[in-house]
Amino acid sequence: MTGWGFFLLSATLATPALATDYPLTIQNCGTEVTFSAPPQRVVTIKSTATEMLLALGLADRIVGVGFQDGPVPPQWAPTIDLPVLADRVPSQEVVLEAEPDFIYGGWESAFAGDGAGTRDSLDALGVATYVAPTACRAQGAPEKLSFEDVFAQILEMGRIFDVEDRAAALIAEQRAQLAAVEPITGLTGVWYSSATSVPYVGAGLGGPQMTMDALGIANIFADVDDTWTSASWEAIVDEDPDIIILVDAQWNSVEQKIALLNDNPATANLGAVRHNRYLTIPFPAAEPGIRSVQATLDLARQLAGLEF
Amino acid sequence: MVAAPLGLSALAPAALRRMRGRAALAGLSALLVVSIVVAVTIGPAQISAGEVWTVIAHKLGLVADSPVSRLREGIVWELRLPRVLAAAAVGAGLAICGAVMQALTRNPLADPYLLGVSSGAAVGAVSMLLLGATLLLPVGAFLGALAAMALTLGLARAMGAITASRAILAGLAVSALASALTSLLIFWTATGDSYREILSWLMGSLAGTRWTDAALGWAALALIGGPLLTSGRVLDGFVFGDTAARALGIAVDRTRWLMLGGTALLTGVLVAISGAIGFVGLILPHAVRLVCGGRNRDVLPLAALAGAVFMIWADTAARTLFDPRELPVGIVTAMLGAPAFFWVLMRNRRAT
Repeated sequence: MTGWGFFLLSATLATPALATDYPLTIQNCGTEVTFSAPPQRVVTIKSTATEMLLALGLADRIVGVGFQDGPVPPQWAPTIDLPVLADRVPSQEVVLEAEPDFIYGGWESAFAGDGAGTRDSLDALGVATYVAPTACRAQGAPEKLSFEDVFAQILEMGRIFDVEDRAAALIAEQRAQLAAVEPITGLTGVWYSSATSVPYVGAGLGGPQMTMDALGIANIFADVDDTWTSASWEAIVDEDPDIIILVDAQWNSVEQKIALLNDNPATANLGAVRHNRYLTIPFPAAEPGIRSVQATLDLARQLAGLEF
Repeated sequence: MVAAPLGLSALAPAALRRMRGRAALAGLSALLVVSIVVAVTIGPAQISAGEVWTVIAHKLGLVADSPVSRLREGIVWELRLPRVLAAAAVGAGLAICGAVMQALTRNPLADPYLLGVSSGAAVGAVSMLLLGATLLLPVGAFLGALAAMALTLGLARAMGAITASRAILAGLAVSALASALTSLLIFWTATGDSYREILSWLMGSLAGTRWTDAALGWAALALIGGPLLTSGRVLDGFVFGDTAARALGIAVDRTRWLMLGGTALLTGVLVAISGAIGFVGLILPHAVRLVCGGRNRDVLPLAALAGAVFMIWADTAARTLFDPRELPVGIVTAMLGAPAFFWVLMRNRRAT
């Protein structure tokens, strides 16, 4: 064996699983996507997508962001401001103007014809697309979301960008954090996301259920086979949950939600409302993704501070 | 339709019709009371009928003590009862508006939506929703309805004397404009999921109905619906055309303006409560005419009662069919109303 041959062999052996072989083909929400090299110019739509790349140390690849739901957590805050393409879903022309080779959407609806463009049309232009698998709807949707799905997405992003080692480190860190959460028992709760007359709540299959399972809070809408659902106040009052988890969105704040709950005599008598047993979570962290574990830890801390 | 023996109906058609009308009035009134009493016992929460009626009797001061828990009491008294009562008011009001519009325009397909009033109200409501002025939502819907009405009637008058077809055409134009404005507002501000709220508003929903809504609905029904309800004789004067109506001593233009304005106002208030619920104003007057004939003095009160009953059950279906999920009631009324509407169309085709 020549010296060169030995060197190549040992290099391959040294990093057996962590280097990505291109072209890389993956199945994403029922669509086949092929990467010939790590993406260099990325547009992210929704905060979950942006924050995933920031957490993987890929801030320098982001050439545009759209539909950001709130501020980036300080530990991932980029040193330079990311170019904002649109406050909501940017149109196809605006996205293409940024000349991306990869578009990463937090919701499937980002790739509508009146959004960034359909996945087929972007593929025809040589732009790879990716929808957070936790948000797949028609095809490829996880049956019941678990933190393993969240970790799988981190790992897949690591492979796509050839930074699998960073992804593995992040996952290890998050697994350790999650293991420290002690689930409680015997308490019921409702995850109140938004809306007023027909409350939009966490159902049995999505991010809210995943987090409530980890916290040990029994979701009163666990039986509804959906990620989120439109419920009725009557069903909530009937169940009288011990805890209400409030999502803090810019357009529907925690303060607005608490005022609404106190305003209607029917909900004002709920145990959770009378005793202020609320947990709050910022909207961008309420969608399954890189912040899910941190949000679960945060909710667990709030839960420990509640009195029953 | 049950065919009466030829001899009998030929002998005394007027008496027979009157009898049938009176029986229908009594029957529908009883059905309305039963519907309210039964509908409040139905819902996602399992509360027995006895408990429900105890709560209501207690709240009305008929029973001193109520063993029912505060939360269950809240479900019955704060969530269900105002909603059922509001549904009755909305259904009755929409049916009255529809019957009056059909008579005034001599158009069997006329209904409150014809004047663009519902669409106008929706623009006002959605604007308030997006401005975050949730409390002003009924005011916005009301102002939107007024603006749409003024625009429609102004347009119709600008074309000359307000005829049936001119009013309808003007309403169509205003409706198209208002729908575009609503779509623009939604498109412009569809942040997060606030569009869900707007959508259920546009499709029509009685979810979240409070006592204030029920009171508003019944007040509008009494103040605007009441006078319309007693206008059957005047409307019957319109049946054979404006000239015939004038010959009967009816101030045709003034009466039409006044009554169109009344229906527009009533529709505005109803849309403010429930969103744009379709088909009720179109279908129920027709259903009533099948039973008691076409005289407006008979049709109006019966249509109001039938509308109230229909709406109570449509909304009960909306809040219980997919328990614990809610369905906008407009979907239910359209699912039931559209086939009925086809049937009316086919019937009219055979008759003419």
